[in-house]
Amino acid sequence: MAEAWFEKRERGSGWGLRIGRTLALALGRRAGRALLWPITAYFFCFLREGRVGLRRYYEALEGHPPSVAALFAHYLTFARTILDRAYLLARHPDAPPYDIRGFEAVSPFLGQGRGAVLLGAHLGSFDAARAAASLRPDLKVQVIMNVGVSRKLNEALRVLDPGAQDSILSLGGAASLLRVKEILADGGLVGLMGDRPLGGELTYEAEFLGRMARFPLGPLRLAATLQVPVFFFTALYRKAASGACRYELVFEPLCGPAPEVALRGEWMRRLGERYVDTLQAYCRAAPDNWFNFYDFWQAQDVGPPRRATPGDGGPGRVGGRAPMERSDAPRDVGARGER
Amino acid sequence: MKSEQTDFEREIAQLLVSSLNLALDPVSIDPEAPLFREGLGLDSIDMLEIALAISQHYGIQMRSDDPENATIFASLRTLAAAIKARRA
Repeated sequence: MAEAWFEKRERGSGWGLRIGRTLALALGRRAGRALLWPITAYFFCFLREGRVGLRRYYEALEGHPPSVAALFAHYLTFARTILDRAYLLARHPDAPPYDIRGFEAVSPFLGQGRGAVLLGAHLGSFDAARAAASLRPDLKVQVIMNVGVSRKLNEALRVLDPGAQDSILSLGGAASLLRVKEILADGGLVGLMGDRPLGGELTYEAEFLGRMARFPLGPLRLAATLQVPVFFFTALYRKAASGACRYELVFEPLCGPAPEVALRGEWMRRLGERYVDTLQAYCRAAPDNWFNFYDFWQAQDVGPPRRATPGDGGPGRVGGRAPMERSDAPRDVGARGER
Repeated sequence: MKSEQTDFEREIAQLLVSSLNLALDPVSIDPEAPLFREGLGLDSIDMLEIALAISQHYGIQMRSDDPENATIFASLRTLAAAIKARRA
């Protein structure tokens, strides 16, 4: 997904995408993939921030700086998943195949007035999953994104897939969250991204690939409030030695439904830990699927969350939430509710 | 000048405090202060929690497509008034 990077590429123009999509669908995937080389080379050369961020990622993952070839291959993987969106969402004959793993754990919760939350990350391709879901009319999948971040991306998706708006919900006001509850009550699935905090968002700290990083607390709180089972989810891009590639959709149980409100702190702490551990495991299994093209560890140290400023949190928050708003509080998921 | 809570507003205030597990005396909530941001400092996830608690306690379903959502959740007073009106 990598909205930020995507936005940088796009710079507000839907035209480039429209032309690209038309070309890609008309020429087919083989020609489309050949065209990706010069395009990727261009972005590789001119987006320095992405290279720096990736280098930090590989240093954390492998303990040594990556080769330029490895970095370029990583960019190319990302570009390929973007290209594949066009084929997957258009149900083009060239659309790559996919396998589904672990879904049998999720399916009992569908269609019985319960639903489940899928906690994903900017790892692999969420679109491969949406495309798979669109082939199953009995399956209701709604992906939630933050409005501010994803406006451009939504615009892009509208171009690529006119039906996308039905399955992507922008997380804006409270009304959109009521909508989430309604989807779950219908036995649907709600997808949330759990890896990338936005400025001003409450966060928790966890060790990720050997170094402390900050993760957004909002998705955990939302999952707690919704009181449905939570699964880790990713759609990995896998390449065989033969050069053939496929997507691997993975579902892994993280936590059962959250308990009553007074016990949620512990539940969120456990969910956060399992989520980060699982994310880490899949980064190791498929390193080039990491699509956070910025310094994941450093970017999150910039300034405390907005609500940590004195007085901003309001009088009721002092005992409730303050500890996890402070950036110096280690591993403090869900301090709220334990007093 | 803080305005006084009515009995029903106190009941809703208690529901807010218990459903969100706030470290706060329900009586101290100013019924006319904004519930969100600069007021009580609640956010949209808190609002969802409140909406769920209200539907559980009073059998009132808050709908995502209700154009009045923003006004209903403006303050304790507007929230209490909306629940009263819908319950009647």
